[in-house]
Amino acid sequence: MGAALTLREVRQRRGGREVLRIDALDLGAGERLAVLGPNGAGKTTLLRLLAAIDMPTAGTVLVDGVRPTPGAVALRRRIAYATQRPGLLSTTVRRNVELPLGWRGVPRPQRRAAAAAALERFGVAHLADRRAAALSAGEAQRVNLARALALAPSLLLLDEPAAALDAEARQAFLSDVERALGESTTTVVHVSHRPEEAFWLADRVAALADGVIRQLATPETLLREPADPTVARVVGYENVLEAEIGPAGAVAVGGWTTGLRATGHGPAIVAVWAGGVHLRPTGSDGIPAWVERVTPGPGRWEVALAGTLPLRAHVPLSASPPRAGEPVVVVLDPALATVVASPRHASCVRAAPASSACSPS
Amino acid sequence: MDPVGEVLARSAVVSISATLIALAIGIPLGTALALARLPGRRPAAAVVNTGMAVPTVVVGLLVALLLWRSGPLGGLNLMYTLRGMVIAQVLIATPLIAGITMAALQALPPDLHDQLIGLGASRRQAVVRLWLEARVPLLAAAMAGFGHAVSEVGAATIVGGNIHGQTQVMTTAIVEGVGRGDFSAAAAYAAVLLGLAFVINALLTSVQQRSSSWARP
Repeated sequence: MGAALTLREVRQRRGGREVLRIDALDLGAGERLAVLGPNGAGKTTLLRLLAAIDMPTAGTVLVDGVRPTPGAVALRRRIAYATQRPGLLSTTVRRNVELPLGWRGVPRPQRRAAAAAALERFGVAHLADRRAAALSAGEAQRVNLARALALAPSLLLLDEPAAALDAEARQAFLSDVERALGESTTTVVHVSHRPEEAFWLADRVAALADGVIRQLATPETLLREPADPTVARVVGYENVLEAEIGPAGAVAVGGWTTGLRATGHGPAIVAVWAGGVHLRPTGSDGIPAWVERVTPGPGRWEVALAGTLPLRAHVPLSASPPRAGEPVVVVLDPALATVVASPRHASCVRAAPASSACSPS
Repeated sequence: MDPVGEVLARSAVVSISATLIALAIGIPLGTALALARLPGRRPAAAVVNTGMAVPTVVVGLLVALLLWRSGPLGGLNLMYTLRGMVIAQVLIATPLIAGITMAALQALPPDLHDQLIGLGASRRQAVVRLWLEARVPLLAAAMAGFGHAVSEVGAATIVGGNIHGQTQVMTTAIVEGVGRGDFSAAAAYAAVLLGLAFVINALLTSVQQRSSSWARP
């Protein structure tokens, strides 16, 4: 059975600086929360509080209504925390997986069976008798996850488990994690700085920046309606621009009409995916710019634009790329852009338990 | 001088006892200095590191002042006894063992302790696992502690007094031999002392090297 989490007025200070500030966060039993944010946002700090490795400077953290503390061993043994670096012990892979089960008093035959099943689920059963020090980064991370999941925890805490893997290995690894969790009721808190990784397992995503949850929403809402420019950047928008909504709803950026429309009036933010920045020849309608740099990417040319607006655009690899220094006209695709009215992002500093966006204060 | 076998046995008993007691004190002390987030940890670590470099005659003098008949522990009648020599050697070996333990645990991956706690280890279970992870340098600490204890002469002379049949140990016997111009006897004692050090260290090295193969990729 998954554990329910409750955080209230949680503050964590380090070196005289507040590194985490969460007014309220609730997670239901069995829910899967991804915490998405850049390096230094406070993601690991949050996990360490949930794992009872650190105690908050102020506020309350409750797991199923009980405060997790280093001395609360029984509660801690319902939690499994997989750190970013696998932290395997210098013994065999099998022994690494069995050891935490031994701490829980699981008899040897059951330990063996649980370890074997967990290693099998992650495709590393053939490594059971190998020394942990001899594993590759990918293998070590699989063993790390197998070790955590073998415990059948009520609360699983994952700290960037795929950070050290290349793109292909990451996909396979995340698929295995998803399969291993399957229909389990384990509550999962998974932190990552990669949106695609965070969205993979999550029912809800908390966008964390500077220690504050800026928005708590479903992955879809977070992508479609980022609450502020910080969230837009955190979820991966390559272009986040200061904008102005005119009286008739026309959205202008840098004094240029974009063709985008929005309700409201006044300052706003336009977030556009690089795939939604289309390049046209000079003389077309749009925003003038010039090509600063062109680099090949996965299935596309990645174009850095300069001029009125610093923008990033993607051009299909099959198309001939523009040349550096070439003048172009930019058109923003409304289907791949979102307009955020200013009042929301100006005051978005609190995360309500089930809100889809920050509310103005 | 006493027969070699008798002096050898005395040296072994005193130094091995002192090393075992120093391990029992030094490893927990070094662990606390490495892991505990307590005020005063850094000054305490500096004191331990300084203790690693204190000359053995200074330790001998300190112990003698404590154990002297008029000293604070004079009532225990430990001056010029093997127990007094053990106390002196414990004070010599403990900072060394604590210092190496602290460095060994601090050299482990920084989040290993947190990972163990995060997987449900009690504090004691986590510390035991960390000791096992650091077993190679911890065995080096045991070797260094024993080597320091068995080879020191200053404290043994001051606290033990090199009394024949009672407190003469290998190092004080060598000094006495040289003092009398009996170099062949001194050389014989030296050879036996080296043999004792070699046997103990060979045993510990064998365990250490078997352990280290698990940590190598």
